[in-house]
Amino acid sequence: MNIKVEGTEQYGNEVYAKLFERILIDLGLTNRVEAARMIIKPEAPLFLVSIRTRQARSTVKIKEITSTLEQRGSDSYMVIAEESYAPALLAMLWKRYGRERIEQITRLELLVKGIKVAELEGLELNPGHELKKDMLDAVWRLLPEGFKVRHNLFSDTVLTIAATEHVMEPEWIVLAEKVHHEMETAPPVEPEEAEKEEEDV
Amino acid sequence: MYEVLMFDGGVYRINELYELIEDIGGFVIQKTTIQVMITVTMAIPQEDRPIIEAKTVELGAKLVDVPLAGTEIAVVAPTLGRHHMPHPVCDIAEHLRKYGAITVVMGLARGKGRGTAQITADEKAFIEEYDAAVFVLGNFADCIMKEKIRLFESIDIPVAVACGPEITGLPNCEALVCGIGRKVERMRRGEEIAKLEETAKAVQEIITARRREVDEDPLFVHPAEIKQRIEELEPVKQSLRPAPIVLHVDGLRVKVPFDSAHEQLANVDIYGRKLGEVTTISPSRLGGSTMIRILTKAQVASREAQDAGHQGSQS
Repeated sequence: MNIKVEGTEQYGNEVYAKLFERILIDLGLTNRVEAARMIIKPEAPLFLVSIRTRQARSTVKIKEITSTLEQRGSDSYMVIAEESYAPALLAMLWKRYGRERIEQITRLELLVKGIKVAELEGLELNPGHELKKDMLDAVWRLLPEGFKVRHNLFSDTVLTIAATEHVMEPEWIVLAEKVHHEMETAPPVEPEEAEKEEEDV
Repeated sequence: MYEVLMFDGGVYRINELYELIEDIGGFVIQKTTIQVMITVTMAIPQEDRPIIEAKTVELGAKLVDVPLAGTEIAVVAPTLGRHHMPHPVCDIAEHLRKYGAITVVMGLARGKGRGTAQITADEKAFIEEYDAAVFVLGNFADCIMKEKIRLFESIDIPVAVACGPEITGLPNCEALVCGIGRKVERMRRGEEIAKLEETAKAVQEIITARRREVDEDPLFVHPAEIKQRIEELEPVKQSLRPAPIVLHVDGLRVKVPFDSAHEQLANVDIYGRKLGEVTTISPSRLGGSTMIRILTKAQVASREAQDAGHQGSQS
């Protein structure tokens, strides 16, 4: 992961790079972030953070990630084929039908009580949506607490937030847009390359 | 001046230690017995330490310095939000406890931000009930030096500030520890523990200075003596709160409601006088507690002289 921090105070820059890294580790997002850039000007005050995530997996239907999906009486039985989707799938089913109707028979076998297979087949999982939510959580943890005035920019893989305390100056919005664009157009950093860079540091 | 020490040993012949402490004019602040082991926190005259050391060796125990015992310290964060809690605020508070202090962690209602950071008069008064306060601030020198200093500018107790950047000096505070700043994980690495030690040392220094100041105009009684007298009172015995009596450098916090207990407290006998005559008893801002501030010997003498004058003029 490539974290770049620019700002007027050397100490603060170094600390915030470490803080962000630690926050990502806590949230288990280290390998989902490709690059991050921060511009910190405490005297302005301005805190700008831009994050580029690795391409999130596209939307999938339940029948695409299960090897078996069949009706057993009034219940639906499924075997998850792609284990990496299991947490998101479980979370979605819990949210939709309640925990009491979802029985996890083994690690990969699920029984959804009282639901027809036809209904489950149509359900979709959107991992990208979850990633965006997690990324926002990381940014809220990072941003100084008092900086409540924010300007947000989102695209498929880049999220940029400029935050200040009182009035958002027009030039900061321009700066945020510029940084956002640069992050979008920067060449992709391969995971291996990123790791190598970290080792060099 | 009194020195606070902790005896860590067995209960066998422990009465000999209690008698010795009494003989040299010291006080037992706290006793904790765990099966056959006991720790006794005591305040003894500084010059008599060798006597206690000799007794400790005789009893096969060890003596530990707890320089902050008998103090209550507030560790203050700009807010209670996850940006400031639990680390490093709780790490600092926990480390101070190792040196014997009772610590309280608090967050201001609106201490966040830069220009918007503020402290209310109520919060100041609350903090001033403690012996010292440690303000834990962030990572930007510009923000700390220009804005955050307002948070502790007119607080009447000694203040230590812990912050991230290396700053040579800061107004309105007695001690400054740099290199801590904002943290999102526990301070457990060697260099971080060294910083916690530095903070504890800074707090010790300001508490020692405070104790010296108090010794220049000595208190009428030591807070531990009052503790001994009031711990047998029914409302205090019934208090279920942990540490119902907390010692301060110049008084005590008794965790019983002021309205129901202040008369009983004021009538406790202290060397032939009533406690209410030699102290100021007031409600604490910490709900359900009572503050006792001990008057100095000079204040008690002048109060008595005034009373005598009043009585003389009336007759």
